[in-house]
Amino acid sequence: MRSPLPRRLGWYLLFGTGAALMLFPFLWSVASSFEPAGSVLDKPRLIPRHPSLDGYRTFLSALPFWRLLANSMGLALCSTVLQLVTSSMAAYAFARLEFPGRRVIFGIYLATMMMPLQVLVVPLFVEMKQFDLVDTYAAVLAPTIASAFGVFLLRQAIVAVPRELDEAAVMDGAGHLRIFATVILPLIRPALATFAVFAFMASWNSFLWPLVIIRSPEFMTLPLGLSNLHGQYTTEWNVVMAGTVLSVLPIILLYLAAQKYVVQSTALTGLK
Amino acid sequence: MTVRRYARQAAALIVAVGTLAACAKGSITKNNDAGGATTTLHYFTFSAAPDHLKDLDKIVQAFEAQNPKIKVTVESAPFADYFTKLQTAFAGGTAPDTFELDYQDFVSYSSSGSLLDLSGPAGKDGSYQSSVYEPTSLSAFQAAGKQYAMPESFSTVVLLYNKKLFDAAGVAYPTADWTWADESAAAAKLTGKGVFGDYQPVSFFEFYKALDQAGGSFFNADKTKATFNSPAGVKAAQWLLSKPGITMPTLAQIGGTPDYDTNLFKTNKLAMWHNGIWQFATLKDKSDWDVVVEPGDTQKASAVFQNAVAASKTTTHPDASWKWLKFLTSSTVMAQTRVDTSWELPPLADAGVLKNYLAQSPPANRQAVFDSLKAQALTPVIAQQQKMQDILDKAFQGASKGTDLQKLLDDTAAKVDALLK
Repeated sequence: MRSPLPRRLGWYLLFGTGAALMLFPFLWSVASSFEPAGSVLDKPRLIPRHPSLDGYRTFLSALPFWRLLANSMGLALCSTVLQLVTSSMAAYAFARLEFPGRRVIFGIYLATMMMPLQVLVVPLFVEMKQFDLVDTYAAVLAPTIASAFGVFLLRQAIVAVPRELDEAAVMDGAGHLRIFATVILPLIRPALATFAVFAFMASWNSFLWPLVIIRSPEFMTLPLGLSNLHGQYTTEWNVVMAGTVLSVLPIILLYLAAQKYVVQSTALTGLK
Repeated sequence: MTVRRYARQAAALIVAVGTLAACAKGSITKNNDAGGATTTLHYFTFSAAPDHLKDLDKIVQAFEAQNPKIKVTVESAPFADYFTKLQTAFAGGTAPDTFELDYQDFVSYSSSGSLLDLSGPAGKDGSYQSSVYEPTSLSAFQAAGKQYAMPESFSTVVLLYNKKLFDAAGVAYPTADWTWADESAAAAKLTGKGVFGDYQPVSFFEFYKALDQAGGSFFNADKTKATFNSPAGVKAAQWLLSKPGITMPTLAQIGGTPDYDTNLFKTNKLAMWHNGIWQFATLKDKSDWDVVVEPGDTQKASAVFQNAVAASKTTTHPDASWKWLKFLTSSTVMAQTRVDTSWELPPLADAGVLKNYLAQSPPANRQAVFDSLKAQALTPVIAQQQKMQDILDKAFQGASKGTDLQKLLDDTAAKVDALLK
């Protein structure tokens, strides 16, 4: 049964306003990126009075955009793949293997999520220095390889898989590796996809750790490049916005491709 | 099925290639020392990004040509993130040999003992003449008699004025001898018919400067007590608060409108404007305006924002570091490059090397920029800097001409004292 028209219109209006409010900052940055130099701060305007590609031109000449994009993309892909492997394996162990101290260890895993990165930066940096890895891709990746959040998310998914399926596989002579690869993994694919989106976005947006550990310009990621556009006293906002729009595009494409899983993940975890 | 297998293989390939490439060092950190005879110096900067990286390169190349045995690798970070990186590098034991500091951070780094005393290597350098630097700028970067950094670049605050409005009101142009009284009198005559006579924000940054101009001091000598609630402090606060709503727009009018003052000045609705020399670029297409050193009260004092370069105490190349810092702050190549590219100017005593800058116009009286360096009001710096600035800004926001200023400053000083404990 459909609700009466006036009420439906009311809801549309409410949600429409909400959506417009959410969308405004993004539209503003898109609009600002087409402003000519120097006129961004006048007033928020959704349609630039004198549209120009100055911002994009300056941005592309100021930064090696393709190199930054390749760095960000490569690091995000590696980080995502590695996290999927480590997290799903650890999750399997926590969900299916009985070993002493399982709960305590899992608790400690979860507790590490409470630790903000800011606290860890200096110890991590010193550790990387001991390994002689400062200013390498490996150092950017290393702290992201294992994810407590991933282990938690995937463990929940594996726990939901009926044990009878494992037992049937055991009857057929399958070991843990085979059960993991052929029974469990295919069944938790939605959770894997969800986590992949999370991991990718986290790596794509990460700023503080790469900022600290990367020193050579050729290793810079997109967020680092963007922050380099701010001067000590002034900032050319149209250039920053042009860069922001360009760096958001890949994420938007990813989102469109994986929309279903992102919505699902938000529903599953209550995070965004 | 095959698609998925390809995807899996591709993923494996990415990871494999990634892992191989991952451990390679970057251009800045890989060992460039070719055969031991060359010294590689690391220089960390914030002021070159985003517009002057190529100009800095030019200075580096000129230095390396002069010193074939020293190579300089430049690492750059934006100002907002620079100190996060620098702090981590210090904590992790990988401090750069040489690096940039603004005045406030200079105070904290020099007092924590992280900086190399440059007097040592400078004493061994026969060609060094301290007289090339503006003496007040050089002494700003000394602590306990030691030279911990070399002044590199500066911006000052001056009084900008609109000649047309002065002509129209029949008021004589400001001169370097003006005092607050002259400025007030002129502002009163210039205000009216949609024109404001004066514009000076009421804030921490304006207050410590006005305090200095009135002959007061912000702290006592050993920085254990705030002393700005002195008669000079009251006078300074009175001076700042005598303007809003009378010869300048009210604070409510100014509100949060960005560039409110810039637009007033650009559209000939503001006669006198206290602002920094960075506005020269904004006003380059406007005619009929000039600048003078800010009027003082009992003495002259100008707000100066300075960057300096320092070497870390742990550097293994103190002498090479000194050579580079000296070149970076005093060479002709540097001065020329900075003037040519409208980069911030170096505080050199002999403005002759900067004659191309002085020859530019508007404003015609660019000499005032260098004159304003001669009496500097240094920013009061404490560990909890931001809190202190907020306390003062907030106090002034609530104040107006009729406020009991002695009481306001007493209360504010007590709050600042609490931060010093």
